[in-house]
Amino acid sequence: MVSKRDFLALIDGKIREGEEVVAPVKQETQANFKRIKSTEDILWGGPQTVVAPKDLLFPQIDELIEFETGPEIKITPMVEGKPKVLLGIHACDMNGTSLLDNVFAEKNVDEHYFKKRELLTMIGVDCLVPCTPESFCYRKESVLPWEGFDLYLTDMGSRFFVEIGSEKGASLISGIAKDATRSDIAKLKTMRRKRDRVFDKKQRKLKPKLKDLPKLLKENYDSKVWEEHGAKCFSCGSCNMVCPTCYCFDVRDCVELNLKQGARSRFWDSCMLTDFTRIASGEIFREDRGARLRHRNSRKDWYLFEKWGKSFCTGCGRCGKACLTKIVDPLDIANELYERRKG
Amino acid sequence: MTIYEPQLARINKVERMTDTERFLEIELLSGKSLGHKPGQFVETSVFGVGEAPFCVSSPPSELPTFQLCVRMVGNVTTALGNKNPGDEIGIRGPFGKGFELQHFRGKDLLFVAGGLGLVPLRSLIWSVLNSRKNYGKVYILYGAKRPRELLFRDELKNWEERDDVEYHSTVDMGDENWQGNVGVITTLFPQIQFDPVATQVVVVGPPIMYRFVIRELRNRHVPEENIWVSLERKMKCGVGKCGHCQINNIYVCQDGPVFNYKKIKDLPEAI
Repeated sequence: MVSKRDFLALIDGKIREGEEVVAPVKQETQANFKRIKSTEDILWGGPQTVVAPKDLLFPQIDELIEFETGPEIKITPMVEGKPKVLLGIHACDMNGTSLLDNVFAEKNVDEHYFKKRELLTMIGVDCLVPCTPESFCYRKESVLPWEGFDLYLTDMGSRFFVEIGSEKGASLISGIAKDATRSDIAKLKTMRRKRDRVFDKKQRKLKPKLKDLPKLLKENYDSKVWEEHGAKCFSCGSCNMVCPTCYCFDVRDCVELNLKQGARSRFWDSCMLTDFTRIASGEIFREDRGARLRHRNSRKDWYLFEKWGKSFCTGCGRCGKACLTKIVDPLDIANELYERRKG
Repeated sequence: MTIYEPQLARINKVERMTDTERFLEIELLSGKSLGHKPGQFVETSVFGVGEAPFCVSSPPSELPTFQLCVRMVGNVTTALGNKNPGDEIGIRGPFGKGFELQHFRGKDLLFVAGGLGLVPLRSLIWSVLNSRKNYGKVYILYGAKRPRELLFRDELKNWEERDDVEYHSTVDMGDENWQGNVGVITTLFPQIQFDPVATQVVVVGPPIMYRFVIRELRNRHVPEENIWVSLERKMKCGVGKCGHCQINNIYVCQDGPVFNYKKIKDLPEAI
């Protein structure tokens, strides 16, 4: 347990020392992750930020190498990062990060991601009410963080109940934390039971069982749902941009005006765009919008779900909210596939 | 080295092969061999322009040199084709799964190449022909759109003249000098007599070709597991991260580009 005052003073102290602390802040009528000047700026609870905080680890534009052309070519790898604290993020985004940890570590370790990851302190906050009407984290068993966090705070009035996820997290609060008493733990359990009831009541239902989603997508690969939703899709890619687990990227070279120096960077890319699968000959392998929508959903709830044992949709609800024609929401799609399934 | 950091290489030779194709001989500055298998690809960088994947066209070698053939249709391919001997470029790889010669040893082999498909197949064909006695009969079928688009013409002549290779070619559209077969590649099948069960068939060509060639092979009772393909996709990163080359749940850059047909035939996005 820590007192809120002590904890916030600790963070404000870090900010004064120059440490970069990023947290959800209110922006007009919406919210976004931003570097904060004081813990007073933090937006606790809802609304959900428009974009997930993945850019702290996987920036929208991330330099991979710098190069010098000219008579001799020189290449400098750009593996960069600096210590940052990400405070006040919800479980859906922490779980999104833990999924990204898997994919960027798999086989070929992506040092550009992990350099930033090692320097990031992730402090989450327990959601006690749904942060948006679009969210469905409870249906994706993603109301609590699975792993990969440093600290996890639950608001108990004047104090936070703090769950410690790492040594880094433990040492951060070592001076101000007290052991939770039996009654604190009992109170936490009661709060979470109540929270589960609230989420179960307020969040939209997932009709198929969560674990059956890969099978549902596999068996309904040719469902009319894809064609119908695809016909309304603008191929704008917003769903990919806001998602905590979309990580596809393009790689491009940019040169200085002197044409001697340049950088190769990766840029967020979107599997919903026509050109995503286009090759130099002009062939486009996923030309149909419905097929692209099916691919996006299949990655989240089938291909990567089967591979890693966890759905790659943590139910944050951002894509459904961002979608201009309201056709992309993975929960809606799963329910529609389920209701119209064959047999 | 990070996974996105290329090693430097020098272009030793640039040859004009057709109006749009250029043949490049490349040498790694490290002095080490590329260490590739036939069918594997490299990500090739022209710094300031970008990076693109190419299957290596030469057979495996101890030397630090290897060969690519590029069609100048995009930014990177055009920049590569316009390079001069001595120019430096970047190389990452080799990446992906290539052809495993152990599957072919002692067997009859039928190579079916369409257009640029000959480029990766050439690496395998020469690996086989360089130790010819380890293999049974060898058939090569090659099709191009027009006679002037035929690649590696000296080598085609060599295959035509050899007694230990049965070579046939075709073009979709002939010209005044073309004496050979005219028609799509499947029109060559009646010209060869091969044992469908004893033959391993390797098919590499443009996306549209696979469906027709595989149907022809299946009509001739070639078992699915005897058919090998190399699939083209946008392998942007080469290391299974960027997502561009995905076919359903597989990554071409990791699980391919070479596949046994049986492994991919049920993937709706594959062929």
